[in-house]
Amino acid sequence: MAHEFEEFHQELRSVASDLLAKDRAVEWPVLAGAGWVGLEVPDEFGGAGATFAEVAVICEEMGRAASANSYLGSAVLAVGTLKALQPSDTRDALLSDVASGTLRLAVALGSYEFVPDADGADRLLVVTTDSEGAPVVDVAALAVTRQPVVDETRRLATVSADGIEAAEVLRFAGDPEEQVCRLHDRAAVAIACDSLGLSEAMLAATVSYAKVRHQFGRPIGSFQAVKHACADMQVAIAVSRQLVSAAVEAVAEGRQDASTAAAMAKSYTCSAAVDVAGKAMQLHGGIGYTWESGIHVYLKRAILNRSLFGSPAAHRKRLAQRYL
Amino acid sequence: MSPSKRAAEREDMRDNLTKSRTQAHIRPSVDLDEFRTTVGSWCEEHVPRDWRQSQTGAGDAEFVRFQKSWFAELHRAGYAVPHWPSEWGGGLRTRGAARKMSVPEQIVLYQELAAYDAPRLVLAFVGIHHAASTLLVAGSDEQRRRHLPAILDGEIWVQGFSEPEAGSDLASLRTSARRIGDSYVVNGQKLWASGGMHADWCLLLARTDPDAPKRKGISYFLLDMTTPGVEVRPIRNAIGDSHFCEIFLNDVSIPAANLVGAENAGWQVAQATLGAERGLTMLELAERLGNAGFRWLVQASPLDDPIVADRLARFETEIAGLRGLCRKVVEDNEAGTAGPADASIVKLYYSELLQRLTDFGTEIGGLAAQTELAKPMSSGWESGCWVLDFIGSWEWTIPGGSSEVQRTIIAERGLGLPREPSVA
Repeated sequence: MAHEFEEFHQELRSVASDLLAKDRAVEWPVLAGAGWVGLEVPDEFGGAGATFAEVAVICEEMGRAASANSYLGSAVLAVGTLKALQPSDTRDALLSDVASGTLRLAVALGSYEFVPDADGADRLLVVTTDSEGAPVVDVAALAVTRQPVVDETRRLATVSADGIEAAEVLRFAGDPEEQVCRLHDRAAVAIACDSLGLSEAMLAATVSYAKVRHQFGRPIGSFQAVKHACADMQVAIAVSRQLVSAAVEAVAEGRQDASTAAAMAKSYTCSAAVDVAGKAMQLHGGIGYTWESGIHVYLKRAILNRSLFGSPAAHRKRLAQRYL
Repeated sequence: MSPSKRAAEREDMRDNLTKSRTQAHIRPSVDLDEFRTTVGSWCEEHVPRDWRQSQTGAGDAEFVRFQKSWFAELHRAGYAVPHWPSEWGGGLRTRGAARKMSVPEQIVLYQELAAYDAPRLVLAFVGIHHAASTLLVAGSDEQRRRHLPAILDGEIWVQGFSEPEAGSDLASLRTSARRIGDSYVVNGQKLWASGGMHADWCLLLARTDPDAPKRKGISYFLLDMTTPGVEVRPIRNAIGDSHFCEIFLNDVSIPAANLVGAENAGWQVAQATLGAERGLTMLELAERLGNAGFRWLVQASPLDDPIVADRLARFETEIAGLRGLCRKVVEDNEAGTAGPADASIVKLYYSELLQRLTDFGTEIGGLAAQTELAKPMSSGWESGCWVLDFIGSWEWTIPGGSSEVQRTIIAERGLGLPREPSVA
């Protein structure tokens, strides 16, 4: 599959990278206008009928640009959640409104804290359980408190369900437990894509800098100490790319091994991204430590990504349970 | 626990391994499942049950005998050289017809061989990989006709590249070859030639033009090891084995017909063939690490220790990444889209992962692991005799371009960073 769509993905990637390079902050109407919000929404609801594999391309570009926008919460997670639900008038209308950009959602997936893109969203999808303990989704209005974090490119919030009536309870299609598990996989892999994109951006920036910055009468990139550090960044990225590709494919196809692939991709790639961004700061020297260089923006995002939707240790714990 | 008891215990583990093999990076398909079953049943029937015990502490003669008979056995089944073109006896033979074996099929084959803990082809390694890819890429028809079938009949090869003064700086090699009439007269010394004392033929790099820039005066030869003037001396390595050698060459005559490629184009021939075979050899090694090494590590580990569990999950993740990289480099090589440093990335990552994994095995194995004084011949560095595996892992991080050399290649050829200024 990966090969059949390679050309389309290249095109999507290049358009996304051009658009995202313009400004760090990108507003919802721009995302909707570009067609990215409705990428995965089926044709009959006004979407492009694409898959998570295409969404993953956008996620990677978001990371490469360290873009500040609400794509993660309002498109990747919201559309993924809606598609996992049984068809109903409410669900179908929500899908159409998201695809057209007239409605912005956010998803509280297992936690009311650090909910991505809840601030400013019109409605909230709360993944919760019914009185029998089966997972369901409440569609609720919002009581949102913005939660500032060190990384200024992500918008997180604490949401409160207290005193708020759920407008409607929507049920999952198929096995609800499995659907929730898939949503967690989706969230983890989306973040892994982001970290992969930002790692590549940091390596590219470092290599360019090492070619032009001269010390001791030669480019610093000609010194082995610098060269070998760049080589290590490249190897970590190459391994990340393999794990992310496998995870994206598994999630897009809803395969049985998706959780394993997601845990591997998330734990490895998000750890590696912190190392890569950290090395980028180191190899840029004093300039890298300045606010103006912008390296810190990537390092902070990499650090946040590592903790978002499961730490590396938590994901590896899940992997290790399979050995017992 | 005695080494033989441990070896026996590992025989039992084999049954568990076959049940729990990992199949990451292959998309399931009916054809592959069928092929997997075929290979699995073959392994069930043909992999000698007791080879670990009989090969532990085996002498040289027994090792060579065993390697040759296992190679012949694999070749009869069509599993010895799956990566070769079908017209030379490789590929997949079904119902009388032969065709190229796809990369996913090769991976399935290596997975099953690893899962059934089949012996590795240690002795034939250079012949079926380095020699074959050199002949296929750069050899003459005559050279291919002479040697490819012979390799399938058990001809053993050794690589004569490194020298005492030409290690990482291979291009500064000094062994000379002077053209006299229809042959070359070779003088010099080669080092680190693995399996040299068992070899029938040698892939030899020698300097044919001492006045040319160092990379432009080297030629690539096929040397018959029975030629007068060839003397092989084994060197004892860090784990106590003597399988790599020095080769002394005193007025050794090589017929001009045994030159591969053009005179003075040897460096280019070596470059072209090294990259091409790198991914292929790795394809098997990655599956060995994933399907044998890692499973043994899990079985030896106290899983209720969360720190141990975390380390294991990290290794499993890295092995999954390695397998993806190996598959990609082989497929990209076939498609002609591989990057100039892709093979170096795979070699570097495998070597260092192997070293870290076997290091962890020694830590887990504790004092009991120190009592294993010999590992089975015919196994790789994922044999589960952790201390020897760990020490042996330097056999990966040093030769074939050390990890430092690989990093430089990745940075210069892959990332385009400026070359180190050369010392005048």
